[in-house]
Amino acid sequence: MSNYLIYFLVAAGLFAFAALFALFGVYAERKISAYIQDRLGPTETGKFGALQTFADILKMIQKELIIPSKADKWLFILAPVIIFVAVYMGFAAMPWGPGLVPSKVNIGLYYVFAIISIETLGILMAGWGSNNKYSILGAMRSAAQIISYEIPAGFAIISAVMIAQSLDLQVISTQQGVQSGETIKFFGFWDVTNIGGLLSWNIFRAPHLIVAFVIYFIASLAESNRAPFDIPEAESELVAGFHTEYSGLGFAFVFLAEYSMMFLVSMIGVILFLGAWNTPLPNMGALKLADWTTNIWWGIFWVAIKSLALVGVQMWIRWTLPRLRVDQLMNLCWKVLTPLAFACMLISGIWRLWLM
Amino acid sequence: MMLVKVMFYILAAIALGSALYVAAAKNLVRSVFMFFVTLFALAGLYVLALADFVAVTQIVIYVGGILVLILFAFMLSGRETLEVLQQQKGKFISLSKLPAVLLALMFFVVMFVALRQVNINDADWVKTAVAEGNIMKPDTVLVESIGVNLMTRYLLPFEAISILLLFALVGAAHLSRKEPQA
Repeated sequence: MSNYLIYFLVAAGLFAFAALFALFGVYAERKISAYIQDRLGPTETGKFGALQTFADILKMIQKELIIPSKADKWLFILAPVIIFVAVYMGFAAMPWGPGLVPSKVNIGLYYVFAIISIETLGILMAGWGSNNKYSILGAMRSAAQIISYEIPAGFAIISAVMIAQSLDLQVISTQQGVQSGETIKFFGFWDVTNIGGLLSWNIFRAPHLIVAFVIYFIASLAESNRAPFDIPEAESELVAGFHTEYSGLGFAFVFLAEYSMMFLVSMIGVILFLGAWNTPLPNMGALKLADWTTNIWWGIFWVAIKSLALVGVQMWIRWTLPRLRVDQLMNLCWKVLTPLAFACMLISGIWRLWLM
Repeated sequence: MMLVKVMFYILAAIALGSALYVAAAKNLVRSVFMFFVTLFALAGLYVLALADFVAVTQIVIYVGGILVLILFAFMLSGRETLEVLQQQKGKFISLSKLPAVLLALMFFVVMFVALRQVNINDADWVKTAVAEGNIMKPDTVLVESIGVNLMTRYLLPFEAISILLLFALVGAAHLSRKEPQA
């Protein structure tokens, strides 16, 4: 019976983490955008405006949930929940440290990939349920974009999986550090099994995975509807895209989902390419930095730091690059990223056969 | 074991109920969204049968692909067209439904007879598989066995399917190509 209690506690903990991260993420986004645009951002509420997002969420919870009279009520109410739950379920298979994973699934990566694709359905539901032309345009753009970008993302993931030979996220993580059971070779020639650290991350085990990582990162921006791929909610054209009609809690859920999604895709990128919960510090002679900094607590620290760094890059890109047009977006996906991802997959096969 | 049974009946009830709604609902878009619930419950049943790879594939292909494409078709066709589609003649019993009823009845008879003839708790192939140790445990890695089987035993069907998909791809590319202005 206590097993089930632990399951519920873990689920609640993950939810709390997602909510806290969204609060922190919104604050960070506002501060970073302010820095990039040479403004100050929130300053009034709390020290350096740190309580601003708490104030915002309090306001949002109190607000009335307005349902448009011509909307499809069920779809309209359920859509934000489905969008959020889709992202939230993805966290179930994410490893946080050696031996620390909420649900040990031996096809974890495939599962996460499947769960993320459910988000599209929620977005279409929100767009259709709102009965608003801006919402539906936004939803269709979003779905078209996510379906297209799943292909390069999928092949970039496959090229990493071919090197790792497993779909279990925990196995993929363990392989990229000093705790690995097999020999790791830096760039295919230098045995770094006992050195670990930065040198044994997937992007250095096989250098073409750097390209795969960039492809995955670009595609993950598109999948979480972030700029420069934010045509689904292009403010200057579509008001706010698929969540135009949402207010109060519904809107809060959509926001929560967006920020959780940012963290989730960053975390997948970290696990597949950037060494998961392994330390970046290598063993150097008597200085066993890698051995000292690999355990559960350091694992949580490293995976969180790396994922937050990637989220930071996502924000940086959002406030730096202009939005892509629809045709540019599709050209980039089908004519650049997809062939490159195929090439990466091919190289992965050759690498695995001849160099590992 | 008890919990697994309870889960099975809950999932089966959800699958059947939502499938009934899909077939009976007047609102087409809602029935498409309800179909999502059916597919999800089916995926849950696959997981209970230890076929986790099949379950996830079901979600990737049906929910992430086919359902979204169906919805796309709906959204591109506009409300007026949909309302015409929804105003079907509302008679419960009509002659035009006869073939469907016949088909359903025949299918039911086949299933019923098959179920009567096969003693499912005591079937031969189950016994031999158990005797040979050819069984799946909850921690078996299914992906490897699927991969090996696809590349050896089922290579010919696998290749045939890939050629079929290539046909579809070429056809789709041809259909969507702009004709040169003559």
